[in-house]
Amino acid sequence: MADLNALRQAVINGDHTSARRITEEALGENTDPLQIVTGCLVPAMDEVGRLFEEEEYFIPEMLLAARAMKESMELIRPRLTATGAPSSGRAVIGAAKGDLHDIGKNLVASMLEGAGFDVHDLGVDVPPEKYVEAVKTVKPHLVCISTLLTTTMPALKKTIDAIDAAGLRDSVKIMVGGAPVTQQFADEIGADGYGENARSAVQKARELTARGAA
Amino acid sequence: MNSRERILGAIEHRAPDRVPLDLGSTSVSGIHVSCVAALREYYGIANGPVKVHEPYQMLGWIDEDLREILGVDAQAMFPHKTMFGHSTLNGWKEWRMPDGLEVLVPADFNVTIGEDGVIYMHPQGDLNAPPSARMPNDGYFFDAIIRQPPLDEANLKVEDNLEEYGPIADETVAYIASASAQARASGRAVVASLGGTALGDIAHVPAVQLKYPKGIRDVAEWYMSIASRPELIRELFERQTQIALANLARIAAAAKNSIDVVFVCGTDFGAQTGTFCSRKTFQSLWTPFYTTINEWIHANTPWKTFKHSCGSVRKFIPDFIECGFDILNPVQCSAANMEAGELKNEFGERITFWGGGIDTQKTLPFGSPGDVREETLRRCEIFSCGGGFVFNTIHNIQARTPVENIATMIDAVHEFNGTK
Repeated sequence: MADLNALRQAVINGDHTSARRITEEALGENTDPLQIVTGCLVPAMDEVGRLFEEEEYFIPEMLLAARAMKESMELIRPRLTATGAPSSGRAVIGAAKGDLHDIGKNLVASMLEGAGFDVHDLGVDVPPEKYVEAVKTVKPHLVCISTLLTTTMPALKKTIDAIDAAGLRDSVKIMVGGAPVTQQFADEIGADGYGENARSAVQKARELTARGAA
Repeated sequence: MNSRERILGAIEHRAPDRVPLDLGSTSVSGIHVSCVAALREYYGIANGPVKVHEPYQMLGWIDEDLREILGVDAQAMFPHKTMFGHSTLNGWKEWRMPDGLEVLVPADFNVTIGEDGVIYMHPQGDLNAPPSARMPNDGYFFDAIIRQPPLDEANLKVEDNLEEYGPIADETVAYIASASAQARASGRAVVASLGGTALGDIAHVPAVQLKYPKGIRDVAEWYMSIASRPELIRELFERQTQIALANLARIAAAAKNSIDVVFVCGTDFGAQTGTFCSRKTFQSLWTPFYTTINEWIHANTPWKTFKHSCGSVRKFIPDFIECGFDILNPVQCSAANMEAGELKNEFGERITFWGGGIDTQKTLPFGSPGDVREETLRRCEIFSCGGGFVFNTIHNIQARTPVENIATMIDAVHEFNGTK
């Protein structure tokens, strides 16, 4: 029988080969896919976040764990979709128009996925109208926009304004992040939340969706 | 005291006659080409398009007339090949930025435009080679396109990540000797970017100058390798260090006395809130090789060594000092635990802060001139005591920074120095 504790540990250790193998075994034995996510992957990524906060884990270890979790999720996702299992919420994420940097954005996307969110990643250099379109089609609880550059910081406000102009602002919570972004800037442009790193982004996402999820 | 003496005095912690100033001596202490053009206009010396000497970050060349006006004390000696492998010796041509600004780029700077208007840069200007970087259709900088060949875990070879390192050509040594001697004649401190000693600099990992890079080239894969393949990384750094020392010996033989500061490594160890890796990892993978490089330079040349790392790196500063670095840049005071006064008190006597002058993520691009003046004066006050400080913005001045703010910053440095 698949050892789900070993799967949890494989994700924490960033061992993607074992994570994939044990997930395959578990699914082969018809283990409830939601049980693997909520009982195994989410606690594993919570532990990774804790280790990051405790400065036992750093960016390389976080990336390794995220990769292991994603490989497991790739196998589980089709089963989850088939069973219509609930998620923690839907999130749309992307890097702002003009910005091509995605390491931080990808890490936040992975950590959100690891926290049970259904994540729709729009990629990099995403224009405001594409976020608007995604809000209409995906109907997310959360929109996350990142930037690394000072030159693209205005695009964060433009995106929020575009969502507002489309009459969709009240339907979503909007989070922003990235190296030059601060809480003060997030407040100034009318974002609902700011994450200074991947760990705090997940905490903020949980907080926002617990309060405001439809 | 001339500019060179002023900078050397600062690095040797002998309080110089005034705070020395750098803008443009390295690829991490420069100015975006659009801001160089704006400064030339502002000071009434605009005379045509500005050269982009570093096309990855689109840094503008600061000519002698502008250097004089700004009052900079450091002079760059850049390699004759850009990040993308263009030669800067084959002439220059005009190119139009997405915002319409005309600039000069190396003659073999060749790009293609995608359907979406994205600008694709081709390595070494070879349009037959797949692009290695791109700039958004409203962008100001290039960013690497990840070209990661499939990795065969059982057969990873350090040689694949060493393709861009090797014995430098005689003509490169001759160029460095000539360009350094020319820079020395300026009376400013010569800051040389010699290449080869950057260990794991993430800007270099994708090897945007190579047409078909092999090895670990994906940025995330590289970061993961630090934790998952430490032996491979260690062997790579060891081999790279051996190659670099052999090259440095040849450069020193030709240009030892024309260079004052050498930009050793730009590997970033800090994010906004903490370090990228643990101190244990740093000490295991980087300390031995940084120490070897610094010891060689200090034993064989009069050069001072310059280490760049963005972010919150306070915990690593004792290690940078232990490794023998003389200079830390850019001193990102806006990052966590990087408060200027605390850094000066804790480390100010043991390392030179080349940077920390003003925040380029907030104050300089978005603050008022009053904010800029106040922060500049305050940082000069904090950092200049007893030397150990070269004024520089915290990393390059970014595109769209108001020229009035840059001029206000310059004025404030001169106001502090009593030279306004």
